Amino acid sequence: MSPVFLVARREYLAYVGAWGFWLSLLTAPIIIALLLFGPVLLARAEPPRVLAIVAERTEDLTAVRQAFADNARREARAEIRAYLDATAPAIALEATAAFDAAPNRAAGIEAARVVVSRSAPRALAAFPSPTQRYQIIQAPAPDVQAMRPYLDGTQMLADGRTLFGALNIRRADGAPVIEYWSTGLSHSEPINIARRAMRLEMQREALAAQGLAPTEADRLDAFDPQVAQFDPRATTGDGQVTLRERAPSYAALALSFILWSVVFSVANMLLSSVIEEKSNKILDTLLTSVSPLQILTGKLIGVAMVSLTLFLFWGALGGGLLSLAADRASDSIFGQVAAAFLEPRLIAAFLFGFVFGYIMYGAIFLALGSLCESQQEAQTLLGPVALVLAIPMMLLTPALDNPNAPIVETASWIPLFTPFLLLIRAPSGLDWIEIAGMAVIMAASAAIILALAARVFKAGVVDQVSMSSWRGRKDAKG
Amino acid sequence: MNAALEAEGLVKRYGARTAVQDLSFKVPQGSIYGVLGPNGAGKSSTLRMLVGVLRPTSGAITVLGGPADRETMKRVGYLPEERGLYRSMTARGAIAYLARLKGVPAGKAFKRADQLLEAHGLGKHRRKKIKTLSKGMAQKVQVLAAIAHEPDLIIFDEPFSGLDPVNQRVLEETIRAEAKAGRTILFSTHVMEHAERLCDRILLIAHGRAAFEGTVRDALALAPSVAVLETDGGEYDLGAALAGRGFTISEELGEHGNRRWRVRLENGHGSRQLLQACVEAGAPLSLFEPARASLHEAFVALVGDKAQPNAAE
Repeated sequence: MSPVFLVARREYLAYVGAWGFWLSLLTAPIIIALLLFGPVLLARAEPPRVLAIVAERTEDLTAVRQAFADNARREARAEIRAYLDATAPAIALEATAAFDAAPNRAAGIEAARVVVSRSAPRALAAFPSPTQRYQIIQAPAPDVQAMRPYLDGTQMLADGRTLFGALNIRRADGAPVIEYWSTGLSHSEPINIARRAMRLEMQREALAAQGLAPTEADRLDAFDPQVAQFDPRATTGDGQVTLRERAPSYAALALSFILWSVVFSVANMLLSSVIEEKSNKILDTLLTSVSPLQILTGKLIGVAMVSLTLFLFWGALGGGLLSLAADRASDSIFGQVAAAFLEPRLIAAFLFGFVFGYIMYGAIFLALGSLCESQQEAQTLLGPVALVLAIPMMLLTPALDNPNAPIVETASWIPLFTPFLLLIRAPSGLDWIEIAGMAVIMAASAAIILALAARVFKAGVVDQVSMSSWRGRKDAKG
Repeated sequence: MNAALEAEGLVKRYGARTAVQDLSFKVPQGSIYGVLGPNGAGKSSTLRMLVGVLRPTSGAITVLGGPADRETMKRVGYLPEERGLYRSMTARGAIAYLARLKGVPAGKAFKRADQLLEAHGLGKHRRKKIKTLSKGMAQKVQVLAAIAHEPDLIIFDEPFSGLDPVNQRVLEETIRAEAKAGRTILFSTHVMEHAERLCDRILLIAHGRAAFEGTVRDALALAPSVAVLETDGGEYDLGAALAGRGFTISEELGEHGNRRWRVRLENGHGSRQLLQACVEAGAPLSLFEPARASLHEAFVALVGDKAQPNAAE
């Protein structure tokens, strides 16, 4: 067996044999699932926030109360629609129509459930039970000043709950003034709901003052133009942009993040590995049998195999789910995003980006590791590299907004940034020839970086050149 | 004389510092060869050049009749001064891994590892991880790893350092056994006693240069004769009594309340003249013993006190 593969094999087994590897292999999907669904579950688990409203005028009180009820109804409708789009898109329109026809929120939820139970019973199992974000109660005191003990938590409501906030709607020279009292200083949604309600109320009053029917304000407020976006490059259909067309961009963004975190964590593994070998004093023993370039290559291959093992496991898990979604629920949101991940250009960009990005950054980290005597010393070198790695991340947002913006296009041809920006640009109509061109540039850069890294690595492990020896020389000269 | 290893005009410079200067020597096949010198003399740099880890600034090296490349190095076993193994590997795995890097097939490498561990009293530890072994055991494993591929030439850099006296003795026996099996052994040390007991030929290095190259007997012949004396009681000062008579006297640790003196017989003075001087000075002698010179004294005679082997310790 070639020494390179023996080094790679040892490296691979050293990682795979560690319990930490299996821990990350098994826990990562759980952590990702928690990150994805945790906030939703937490939001659902949170009890409604209790609000009290006091107002000088009954009309204002009624308007704001109605605004909160409408808001709760809209949120419930959106939650049910999103669920049905993902699980039973064929009946989503029918169910939301039934919801809209119902007189109130609770009746709307029940009406939608009835449609689902009749037409798509399998989707009933996880049918949402939307919780209300706010519950409006009868004010526990006649004015806000008297409610302060309830608001600052020194006094509980009669049912033992805490009063989250209070809205005080008063009039100053006839114009409404909204005061919001709460210890939740960063939460301002109740103000926005009340403001919208009172603006509508002001419009009603203004119309009435002009001798017009106040309900005209509601009619005018309901005006909403139909909006459609079109892609002039479309060759099939009418070119209207739907989620199906946008999904590849979101998939590219997700893959860029995955690639970035994998490259960074795997490169860190290489850095630790070479520092460990230096501190273990084993390199001199190896160097009589293996050249520095062979050690470097073996390590790169070994750790690449470690990440491939992770990818194979996670890929089999995720890919299986994505294929299933793309196949079984091709019309759903989930199915459309899943199909976008399987787009050939994205897969090619991801593969090129991973292979060459890994070689470039891996070789750099190995070379840096060979110059360090300890992890602490390595941290000082990691700073500048992390800054370089942060640049493509900073460009991801503008790239998503305009993948062909001059700065994004230029940066995507800089080899160290190409792996990440190629991915983000791939869905925006990048030609195969451009993808191939970037792959060639990355390959050439990877070869150059590998050769340079091998020289630095040799200086670090054979000639014992290190950061401290450089500092020593510099100090000596000074 | 067939040479297993030959160095010609070796020079190694690190920037402005010269570590090895114009070093030439031949290691006869089947011999035990010692490279001696104090810490910092250039021994490790020389050995690292011999095994191809370091590239010489100038000079030529021939190993087993060929260049010091990786192909030749498959027939060379090397134990570096800075030792270490992968801590999470088993003793058996570490030996087999390094043997496989030298081209030994997997099955044979593991079999050889088992044999060596068994033969050196580590059989029951073979599946233990290196990090769980004692320092001495781990060092033993590394020595075994250096010889597992049955090399023709074995190069050990300071093999005795860090070992307790028992294990030093065991290692000496291993070296003798390997030499008996027809292998050439070259080792470096700054402790002269090991070389004196083991080596056929030695190379003395000081400040990167060769101070002597030849047999141990030739080296000892260069050392001045000495005599060991003991005087009764703790009061008498032989050094003061013989001052100005041309003897170099140093005091050693005495026994039973006596004082012990080591006298170098130089400048035409022999044991007879020394004895006569002692009688004239009325020295209360309880012991007068002409002693055999040591390699250490030969080294001091060759390169002076400042470069003497144990001075740096």
